[in-house]
Amino acid sequence: MAGQSDPHISLFSAEEVEFMAEDELIEIVPNMRMDPLNFICGDFGPFLPQIATQVPLWLAVALKKRGKCAIRPPQWMSVENLTRVLEGERDTQGAFQALPFHYVEISRLLFDHARDDIPDMYMVRSLVEDIRDVRIHKVETSLEKFSGTSAVKIPNLSAMEVNIIRPFVGRALQAFYKHDNPEKIPDVDRAPSGHTRVANNEPRRPLRR
Amino acid sequence: MKIKSVKLREAHKGSSSASFCSILWDLQAHHLVTASSSEPSISIHDPLLPSNPPRVLRHHRDGVTALALSPNSTCLASGSIDHSVKLYKFPGGEFETNITRFTLPIRVLAFNKSGSMLAAAGDDEGIKLINTIDGSIARVLKAHRGPVTGLAFDPNGEYLASIDSIGTVIYWDLQSGRTLYTLKGVAPDTGSDTSILNIVSWSPDGETLAVPGLKNDIVMYDRDTAEKLYNLRGDHMQPICFISWSPNGKYMATSSLDKQVLIWDVNRKQDIDRQKFDDRICCMAWKPIGNALAVIDVMGKYGVWESVVPSSMKSPTEDIPSSRSKNSNGLLFFDEEDEELSMSGSLSDLGEDSHGESEPPSRKRLRKQSVLVDDQHEDVYDELSLLPKTESRKKVHRVNKENSDKEKDGLRSMMAFRPKMQEAFQPGSTPSQPGKRHFLCYNMLGSITTIKHDEYSHIEIDFHDTSTGPRVPPMTDHYGFTMASLNENGSVFANPCKGEKNMSTLMYRPFSSWANNSEWYMRFEGEEVRAVAVGATWVAAVTSLNFLRTFTDGGLQKHILSLNGPVVTAAGFKDELAIVTHVSDCLPSNEQMLEFSIFNISKGTQIFKGRLPLTPGSYLTWLGFSEEGQLSSYDSKGILRVFTNQYGGNWLPLFSASKERKSGENYWVVGLNASKLFCVVCKNPDSFPQVLPKPVLTLLNLSFPLASSDLGEEALENEFMLNNLHLSQIQHRIEVMAGEDLDAASLDDEAFVIEAAQDRCILRLIASCCNGDKLVRAIELVKLLSVEKSVRGAIQLATALKLPILAEQFNNILEERLRSKTEVLNTSLPSSNYGPSGKVDLAVSKALTAIERSEISEPIVSSSSAKLSAAPLFTKKVKSSDRIKFGMQKTDGGQTANLEDRKVVKDADKNAGPSHVNCVKEVTNLETQRPSNPFLKLQNNREGKKVGEVTQSQSQGPSNPISKSSNEEAKKVGEVTGVQSHRPSNPFLKSTVK
Repeated sequence: MAGQSDPHISLFSAEEVEFMAEDELIEIVPNMRMDPLNFICGDFGPFLPQIATQVPLWLAVALKKRGKCAIRPPQWMSVENLTRVLEGERDTQGAFQALPFHYVEISRLLFDHARDDIPDMYMVRSLVEDIRDVRIHKVETSLEKFSGTSAVKIPNLSAMEVNIIRPFVGRALQAFYKHDNPEKIPDVDRAPSGHTRVANNEPRRPLRR
Repeated sequence: MKIKSVKLREAHKGSSSASFCSILWDLQAHHLVTASSSEPSISIHDPLLPSNPPRVLRHHRDGVTALALSPNSTCLASGSIDHSVKLYKFPGGEFETNITRFTLPIRVLAFNKSGSMLAAAGDDEGIKLINTIDGSIARVLKAHRGPVTGLAFDPNGEYLASIDSIGTVIYWDLQSGRTLYTLKGVAPDTGSDTSILNIVSWSPDGETLAVPGLKNDIVMYDRDTAEKLYNLRGDHMQPICFISWSPNGKYMATSSLDKQVLIWDVNRKQDIDRQKFDDRICCMAWKPIGNALAVIDVMGKYGVWESVVPSSMKSPTEDIPSSRSKNSNGLLFFDEEDEELSMSGSLSDLGEDSHGESEPPSRKRLRKQSVLVDDQHEDVYDELSLLPKTESRKKVHRVNKENSDKEKDGLRSMMAFRPKMQEAFQPGSTPSQPGKRHFLCYNMLGSITTIKHDEYSHIEIDFHDTSTGPRVPPMTDHYGFTMASLNENGSVFANPCKGEKNMSTLMYRPFSSWANNSEWYMRFEGEEVRAVAVGATWVAAVTSLNFLRTFTDGGLQKHILSLNGPVVTAAGFKDELAIVTHVSDCLPSNEQMLEFSIFNISKGTQIFKGRLPLTPGSYLTWLGFSEEGQLSSYDSKGILRVFTNQYGGNWLPLFSASKERKSGENYWVVGLNASKLFCVVCKNPDSFPQVLPKPVLTLLNLSFPLASSDLGEEALENEFMLNNLHLSQIQHRIEVMAGEDLDAASLDDEAFVIEAAQDRCILRLIASCCNGDKLVRAIELVKLLSVEKSVRGAIQLATALKLPILAEQFNNILEERLRSKTEVLNTSLPSSNYGPSGKVDLAVSKALTAIERSEISEPIVSSSSAKLSAAPLFTKKVKSSDRIKFGMQKTDGGQTANLEDRKVVKDADKNAGPSHVNCVKEVTNLETQRPSNPFLKLQNNREGKKVGEVTQSQSQGPSNPISKSSNEEAKKVGEVTGVQSHRPSNPFLKSTVK
């Protein structure tokens, strides 16, 4: 199944996905005074004690590690909201609940680095893990059902989930396509290195005919 | 005192272990009813003949845990471990009905004021509200997490208070059945011992709810807000287990696990008598007529304590609250009817066990008669005989509602109900909450928090900026400090006096000192510290004798001043100390009469003194200095005022919470700077933050409460006024510094920056005025521009907007301004005025002056433009590719001309239309050069960064008095000499020059 598919085949490793998620903005409450920081991605600050400000996650984690700020967990990361989301995930088989695209990575980073800033840390953590498991399970079961189409549309799927199923879905779609019209595909899939790249180019292929 | 000991006699044998027993008087004090949770029987005793055997009711199959008598003493209810609630006739004792059943033992029963409703609760999940009329369950109230052990209907019939064994108190709204307030952990956790029951009790007037506290005390909560009012703390060594109010609410009997019973004078908050018993008293009842208290202990022995309250004091039954007697008189009448109805209903209709499930329709109307009068049921009351009843009851209810509403309002503003002078407070402190940490002081720098333990308090000082602030170890406080103030050098603490042995103490604790033991204490005999403040090198304390005492930070007593009235609050900033005092008692319209004074402690001067304005009906909640040192106040209606020296010292309203407020938010002010207010946003109903989680500051924009103008540019107008305010503040500071012969260059720069911002703001306002066709207003605004270039910009703006008349007016203003400046120059710098042009200006005609002037003030520009003449300008506009060539051509005009040229080019590209017109005009008439010149200038002005460059270029021109002056003005050189008088950054001086 997709969940057990070889992680090395994924386009990105989990760390790389996490790295991309670190650009998400998050609110921190600094406990020091600092002038604004000017980065390529934007200007952040000024930092005043006890006054909340928005910074990228990587900066928040860096400041947190030095004990210079407290991270305010995002709105969706409350026990009530997560409970609701979990119930929603369990209730509806087909659809996915709206969660931030990088929810897995953000929660992981916060659990690792800002444990003391999250109220009901253990509850939140287990809820996020439950949600992730339920969603992965749903993805897998829904993938069982998909049949010969040239595209799969799953709204509200998160980055990590997409990353896990991407190689499988890509190859599967390719296989479907090949079985549908075997003559039109040259020996693309025989080239061993071409797997992921070609899978990635999926939407473009019909144009070649 | 302990001569009269109460003799107890056995009523219930019970087991050898402690069991909860109940005791009750009937209305006429003819009978005493007792029951024990270890015995299924209920005994009705005759207190006059105690030796007579009691009448015994044996209907329960297990111990009786709860008794309740309807207020008119016609109906007795009992609850038992056997899960049933039974009703009996009283005093006869005939069994009537099993009114309800639970699945677990009952712990408590309570009748409401009219007797039409019985509340029952116990180890089951919910509190059942039962209509005694027909035995139907009106509501089940579920919110408690533990067994409910105490229930009390509010005497005014609006609320039900309940308490459970883990110490949670809940206020229920009887009409909606919702919880109004949940007070968690306010009462002791009694654990699993069912012989100890937590209890709640309303005072007979219904204004306060008494609840056993965590510190062996009784805590009084407000009726409507559930706020803690005060507590009665005395010699109980262990938690309180029973509370009973005397019928008039003046006294209270409390029993504690330490086997003592204390009698309290509630108003004086003192215990007046006590008695120690062999066993714990688990239930008490005041005799409704006379001065006696019936007690029963856990072993089932009961007795009557006669003449409890000393004869020197008012009898416990005197002055029974009028509302109560009125209500009960009114209600008693139809209570009896209710009761009869209930009996007939229950007797005829109720079977042994089934009730409230299948009711015949005939009972419907009866049920509607219950206390829960809903509007939607009104139309059901068509039967005439029922009308008067319902109406009267509704009226009572409404009156109560109105009262309580008023009260709510009153309590919020603390004096609406009975006008009262506001008490002294420390800015940035929060009220103490039992078992929780609270702020003694919270400011922009840090916070001081305290938590009270049994014998001492634990104080922590934290700085928001943990990287630079000093690290202060927490301290143990044996004084019980209630006031504190904090700055970067140290903190000061004070406590009020508590009795004779505990004198009021002031303590100062510096954060860093080279000497050991540099903290110091001051003790005050016969006076009490009411407010403290700390400044750069001083500490101030204001006492109950209206003394302002100042100390150095080393602890030297410097000055003692007498203040005019009782202090409200004090705040310190650097050398300045601000004190707010009462002028007089507050007005009948609930307005506090306050006065403030600002002192300079190190110089020993009073800077200002005056009345402190407040919003009508509000009180002061915060006083402090802004980061720039402006005194500011915040009142309970959410208006922030900042003190200004304008208009001879006045307060400007700079923020209004009602304008800002999103629904359900309160702002707790911490501080402010020139443009922002720092506050903690609290969700309703909280009005102050908790220590944990750490409050986060929110920034809110300061804004004047502007009227909505027809211009629709409130934001700009607000910015305009704020800039004016800042300019005047800086002006004031410059004057102060000049008075002290200090260098004010940095302030001057600041003033320049604000002035530039102000001119930009005014120009935007002018633009919107022009668009909105408010030309007079535009002219007024132009007069307010501080830099000449801005005026030129305005002229260009008017030209661009095709308002030639306005442009002409602006031009006149500019001329006027220049002329006055020349005059000043002529008078102040006669030697340097060698050029004839200045004088010519005054003499020649207007049009000519304009040309002259433009030439004089920007010689290079005019020369370059003259060189260029109209034609090249025109071509340039048409063909911008010629630009470079053109610039080259002009290099002979010098670098500066080139600079100007670039601007011309840009100008021409941007505003093709008007410049085209100008150019054409230029060709025909020399005079039309005028509008084009300001055009160039505007360009300079718009590109703020280039202003410097341009001025430099100008400075290279011929030394002409006027150009010099403009140069000076642009550079804003901070020379503090006579030149200052014509420095335009200084709007006040400028106006005096004019």
